[in-house]
Amino acid sequence: MSVIAMPSGRDAAPAARSVEPILTVDSIVKQFETPDGVVAAVDNVSLAVKPGEFFSVIGPSGCGKSTLFNIIGGLLDGYDGAVRVGGELVHGPHASIGMIFQEESTFPWRSVIDNVAFPLEIAGLPKTERYDRARHFVSLVGLDGFERRFPAELSGGMRQRVSMARTLAAQPKILLMDEPFAALDEQTRLLLGDKVLQIQQELKQTTLLITHNITEAVQLSDRIMVMTYRPGKVKRIVDIDLPRPRSSEIVSSEAFGRYVAQIWSDLREEATRGMHDDETRRGGAPR
Amino acid sequence: MSRPVPFSKSRYFPAVLGFGSLAAFVLAVELLVQVDVINRFLIPPPSEVIAAIPRVIMQEHVLSRFMLTAGEALVASVLVTIFGVAGGVLLYQFRLLRLATETWVAAIAAAPLVLMYPLYLVIFGRNATTIVMMGFTAGLAPIILKTLEGLAGTRRVLINVGRSFNLTRSQQFWKILFPAALPTIFVGMRLGLIFALINIVGVEYLINFGGLGQLINELAERFDLPGTYAAICFVILVSIIVFMLTERLERWLRPAS
Amino acid sequence: MAETGKLSPAVLRQGWVRVHPVTALRLAIIITVLVAWEALAQSGLLYRDVVPSLAKIAASLFALLTVPDMPFRLDWSWLGIATDIKIPQLYWHLYATFYEIVLGMLFGGLSGLAVGIAIGGSKLLQRAYEPFLYYLGPCPKIIFFPIMIMWFSVGPGSKVAMGAVSCFFPVALSVAGGMREIDKVLIRVGRSFRANTWQMVTKIYMPAMRHPIINGMRLGLGVCLIGVLLAETKLSNRGVGHLVIDAYTRFDMPLMYALLIVLFVISIGANALIGRFGGLDTIRRT
Repeated sequence: MSVIAMPSGRDAAPAARSVEPILTVDSIVKQFETPDGVVAAVDNVSLAVKPGEFFSVIGPSGCGKSTLFNIIGGLLDGYDGAVRVGGELVHGPHASIGMIFQEESTFPWRSVIDNVAFPLEIAGLPKTERYDRARHFVSLVGLDGFERRFPAELSGGMRQRVSMARTLAAQPKILLMDEPFAALDEQTRLLLGDKVLQIQQELKQTTLLITHNITEAVQLSDRIMVMTYRPGKVKRIVDIDLPRPRSSEIVSSEAFGRYVAQIWSDLREEATRGMHDDETRRGGAPR
Repeated sequence: MSRPVPFSKSRYFPAVLGFGSLAAFVLAVELLVQVDVINRFLIPPPSEVIAAIPRVIMQEHVLSRFMLTAGEALVASVLVTIFGVAGGVLLYQFRLLRLATETWVAAIAAAPLVLMYPLYLVIFGRNATTIVMMGFTAGLAPIILKTLEGLAGTRRVLINVGRSFNLTRSQQFWKILFPAALPTIFVGMRLGLIFALINIVGVEYLINFGGLGQLINELAERFDLPGTYAAICFVILVSIIVFMLTERLERWLRPAS
Repeated sequence: MAETGKLSPAVLRQGWVRVHPVTALRLAIIITVLVAWEALAQSGLLYRDVVPSLAKIAASLFALLTVPDMPFRLDWSWLGIATDIKIPQLYWHLYATFYEIVLGMLFGGLSGLAVGIAIGGSKLLQRAYEPFLYYLGPCPKIIFFPIMIMWFSVGPGSKVAMGAVSCFFPVALSVAGGMREIDKVLIRVGRSFRANTWQMVTKIYMPAMRHPIINGMRLGLGVCLIGVLLAETKLSNRGVGHLVIDAYTRFDMPLMYALLIVLFVISIGANALIGRFGGLDTIRRT
């Protein structure tokens, strides 16, 4: 029994290159006022994500990726440029964009099922339909049987899965994730990565992932955008031509290693620049 | 290159907004009273209240009243500190006693002890002793509890340091536990002082004896409206100043916090 | 007194009364106090009845709780009952005080909640107005009573106003502090799901603040109780506070002690109940 109505656009084959992008980010420039003057966090960043695609944005710390995340998600304004979803201009949190945050974000006072049902409650869905849908997504992230538990009783990885299920329950056209596994240990990260892959492939979910983890990005993505250190610009966009469906075993393949090396060489340049900048700011001499 | 920050974002704006809106409110009340929208027998015009301040200060010997209230508060504070800290130390030292009575002390701290003032009136008479005893009773439980909390909350590692030096029980207490607990004890003393002061001024008003509290009662019974308002404002001012002073004192005594 | 750590099983087994040492000590303390009291009462050292004998207090307490000395019209005509009965006057006065406290909590608590949310939610408002709340908090509120009498007359109104003013401050301060402590990411979650203001307040802010709110209400109840009772002792013809001062003026000391006992039992019980209510929440949900 399919409880989900699949909106059109998702059934399009993800590999077709001539398909209209569902998310376009045009020349975003975001500046901040700091005691040292005006600093551009994001400088002329553009990208386009196709329906069903898994797109990652990777960059060194301080490259403005979280700023970009908040801009696309509609939580930050005061920038130049435009973000469009399906052609529509975004100004404020958009119904088609679902956000998963880096920090612990489950509501501690609600049970797992109530957490997942939250967006449906906001949207005004009737009770039975709400809980039917919520149960489906709880099951999707592999938390069957934990519906009545509270976040305090779960591990960190399980709590992130609850946050994920909650955002997925709103069935956003685009899933926007900001380093969702940053707080987890390596093994949990790999396993959750598997889960995310599985879900994304099942739902053909368009996903935009912000991360600093190269292995994760290559494992999960169709395309990866590498950002420069502040001010964050687009350094390169890499097509990841690894076969789908993928699993965590792919990390041991040769092609995988080559992609990781390629991205690391780009990233290392930027990360080094970042480190030097940090040192000079703190009073040391750049080496 | 930094632009001059607009006033609305400067650090003084909130204070200006706060006091400014208070001043605006007072002015609005003045206007409304003058045009009789507000009954001047309910709320006297602020201008009359302000005019009453010097009169009250002079005629009602506000200074000596203040000294009386302050004296009562001081005596109550000293008593409550001695017995409160001693009580807390006692409960800490004798574990069984603590287990038996800690919940009782907590319960007493939550009870409306000030309702016992008619009882104290009978026992001590209508004088300063009643007032001081009332302040003492009200402030005792918080100090005991805070002292206990401070002693019991000493970090394990500090206690182990003492044990590693083979300190005697007495040394352990006076050189490690007590100094470590002092910050919390000071918090307790401050709480005790505040509770005592609140109850002292309150009881002064209720039994019509004493310093500042009694002043308010007397002015109210004389139907001197501007005077009553002026006296209340004065007491508020005194309470704020005392509170601020104790805050500074506490911060001075525990710079690490 | 020797310090007791773990009592060895041997000691516990030896006594002919198998009782937990804590309970034993509590009983010992209570018994000592009662014996000392009675001794003082019988000694005649103090003026008659300042420390009445326990028997007199018990008798007064019993009479207070059970002797119907007040005519009361039971008018439940919708149920077909309309008679004149007599009830112990305590309950009538208890109800009067209770009514004043509940209304005081309602007005003070709700306005405290609203102000706390408003102030805690905006940095500007917080810096402009929270100092007022913070520094007015420790001020004795009973001194406002003359004004309350002028504004709300000598009836229950002035007592309700007293209770409301008293409990407003702890609630507002607790809620304002709670607003600041809310995990910021939870607010972003709500915004990312485009919750409207009402949904944000009811589904995110208030649940996230349940501990500060309950603690604030607890403190508020404590001071509201005090405010209402003291106001009753000053100027009222009904309520428990009035009964206490009435006993004082008639020098009916056993009655005064009995009333104080009833008062403390109820207030401590109520506080424990709220603590239990807030505590259960803590254990289950963090």
